[in-house]
Amino acid sequence: MSTTTASVATEQYNYGIVKKFAIMAMIWGVLGMLAGVYIASELAWPFLNFNIAEITFGRLRPVHTTLVIFGFGGSALFATSYYIVQRTCQARLWGGKLLPELTFWGWQLALVLGVITYMAGYTQGREYAEFVWPIDLLITVVWVIYFAVYAMTLVKRSQPHIYVANWFFMAFILATALLHIFNNLQVPVAWNSLESYALFAGVQDAMTQWWYGHNAVGFFLTAAFLGMMYYFVPKQAGRPIYSYRLSIVHFWALSFLYMWVGAHHLHWTALPDWVSTLAATFSILLLLPSWGGMINGIMTLSGAWEKLRTDPIMLFLITALAFYGMSTFEGPMMSLKSVNALSHYTDWTVGHVHSGALGWVAMITIGSFYHLIPRLWGTTLYSTKLVFVHFWLATIGVVLYIVALWVAGIGQGLMLRAFDQYGNLAYTFIETVSFLHIPYVVRAIGGAFFLSGMLLMSYNIYMTISGARQPASDEGRDAVAAAAR
Amino acid sequence: MKHESIEINSGLLIVLTLAVISIGGLVEIVPLFHIEETVEEVDGVRPYTPLELRGRDIYVKEGCYTCHSQMIRPFRDEQLRYGHYSLAAESQYDHPFQWGSKRTGPDLARVGGKYSNEWQTQHLVDPQSLVPESIMPGYPWLLENELDYSQIEDRMVALKRVGVPYSQSQEEYDANVEQFGADMADKLHVGNATEVLESQAGAQNWDGDPNRITEMDALVAYLQMLGTMVDFSKYEDGHFNQFR
Amino acid sequence: MIGDIFAWLGDMENSKPLALILFFSTFVGIILYVYTGKKRKQRLESYKDIPFMDDDELDPTHEKKQQVKKDESNGK
Repeated sequence: MSTTTASVATEQYNYGIVKKFAIMAMIWGVLGMLAGVYIASELAWPFLNFNIAEITFGRLRPVHTTLVIFGFGGSALFATSYYIVQRTCQARLWGGKLLPELTFWGWQLALVLGVITYMAGYTQGREYAEFVWPIDLLITVVWVIYFAVYAMTLVKRSQPHIYVANWFFMAFILATALLHIFNNLQVPVAWNSLESYALFAGVQDAMTQWWYGHNAVGFFLTAAFLGMMYYFVPKQAGRPIYSYRLSIVHFWALSFLYMWVGAHHLHWTALPDWVSTLAATFSILLLLPSWGGMINGIMTLSGAWEKLRTDPIMLFLITALAFYGMSTFEGPMMSLKSVNALSHYTDWTVGHVHSGALGWVAMITIGSFYHLIPRLWGTTLYSTKLVFVHFWLATIGVVLYIVALWVAGIGQGLMLRAFDQYGNLAYTFIETVSFLHIPYVVRAIGGAFFLSGMLLMSYNIYMTISGARQPASDEGRDAVAAAAR
Repeated sequence: MKHESIEINSGLLIVLTLAVISIGGLVEIVPLFHIEETVEEVDGVRPYTPLELRGRDIYVKEGCYTCHSQMIRPFRDEQLRYGHYSLAAESQYDHPFQWGSKRTGPDLARVGGKYSNEWQTQHLVDPQSLVPESIMPGYPWLLENELDYSQIEDRMVALKRVGVPYSQSQEEYDANVEQFGADMADKLHVGNATEVLESQAGAQNWDGDPNRITEMDALVAYLQMLGTMVDFSKYEDGHFNQFR
Repeated sequence: MIGDIFAWLGDMENSKPLALILFFSTFVGIILYVYTGKKRKQRLESYKDIPFMDDDELDPTHEKKQQVKKDESNGK
């Protein structure tokens, strides 16, 4: 059936667990983005709430964020980190069959329970950490096993050096553990109740939550995906990373600086001024290691730029880095207090998050998956042409999304602070809401573009995998040959 | 020491990474627990009554914080639109905090008393009937669902564990009398919770139907007290600037 | 003299410049370490080839071989 090479690799490495996580990442990605398009449409056309409690914006929004961050992003990170750690350590995943499987089933169970409880109205009310306390405990167990599997695989490696991608994954695992534990300190109402109250209140709670919230971005959505980048960009380009020394500096600087910046989400609030000033300062400093990473990735292609014309996977990876550079410039700018005064509480923030989440996180994952999946199943991609189409759908989607929310956010921010000639407020709040209608429609369309790209990718991957299972069929072989050309 | 020592020693890599990522959080968060410097002392701020507490639970449950903030910033336009900027003390009993991160709808930090109970109820059931351009969902089920307050004592005890001064003993009750007055101290006593909740729900016609205690009763009671605890007329202009 | 230094270090007010000096010199130290020395450069940069050392793709002609193998197995 399968090729000899692939079966040798399967014996040496645990690819089964990588395959499972990769497939679930695609499924959660499609579902999570579908929820995203739906709630975006609710903002444009509120009748879509249909007076049904389970699908109102307030309850569906955590479904969307959880599925895209932890479902799509999380499963993709499990898949790629398990793949990369085995390949760069040249060692089989530690923990036998059982432990990696436990991380898989535990993680998927947490996601399914999360979706059900959110829609039923059970939430901790902490953004990106809405899971109720029993699910938090489940996640903690999964994470401890994940840490053990990852660390022990590093320990028993046959390659003497630990490649840079693994440092980033390690930082991600450690930081996420720290963040998860401290942001989910809760006292349950009763042992048989899903509800609980946060250990901290007011200012301290806000600070803890945004220390968590921003570092979820910093370590879950940045450091870990940089780990992905440090492996798949060189592999796909067929040339080593631009500078290993830059990666050393950039790793330590990023790990150190990120933890300081969370409070820029709380400018001008009741949080003491010194904290938010400190956070703003470190946010500006953070531009340097961020761009260090971007330059390191993009320059890897230096001298081989023509690949961008022929290789849509490379196109995804490099565009992801470009969006990473853009949003890590936009972020520090928005953390300046004067800019933040306008941007905070508006859709500009939402647009910024999505230029990172769709432009960087999703695109680097998509590129990596197009590289990874044929290798896992020992075959070639079903259609390269469809990857090109996907690239354009995704890029147009992101651009529509970001531009619409720039208009929405800056426009609303300016309207809210406008005064008439007598010194009265020029607009009521509801007038700014009416203004937002058109940008909201465009944003939903942008999201739909991105989602359709994901559906196309799912089809392409489905055909790739089923082609690998029946290589004898003429159709499949033609497709393989076409893709190889 | 060579950098390679880290690259070939996974234990060292883990320890060093952990150290490097811990510094930022420690420096910024730990000092905030010196409460006296972080949270100013203000008269009037008190814990939620049992009915308001349940209302707040429903506010969190429905995800209101995903579209409404409760944090007025010290800008002229916000003070004209919403009122005096929010003080740290005003959210000192909020577990979890409800400052929010996005204003798809207006800030609610001082919405209490701005509209009548009838308006709030009608607006929650069908927002577009009062504000045609509104994009807020309707919450008609709040009016249908009976309020579940079977665990109200457990809830107050849980909050007491995290530092909210609800009273269980005589001593704690007396302290509350001194701090919040006898009337309020009665409402904050865990032993009285069910009785207090029912009487507050009946005392005002929150949702238009005095015969049933619905989720709407609780939510409206909560909304109507938001931002009303501090009497700003008692303080001189600019008094609170010293705490910023 | 030494007592004065300790007094200065012990004063919380001085923690900010102290932290700044500490962090900044660490940063400069790392930069100097990483970017000086020809030997060190060669050694550090050699590690970037690790992703290309995994067995089945050691050989750049691997993809072609795989294709050939596949064709063979299909032919059987």
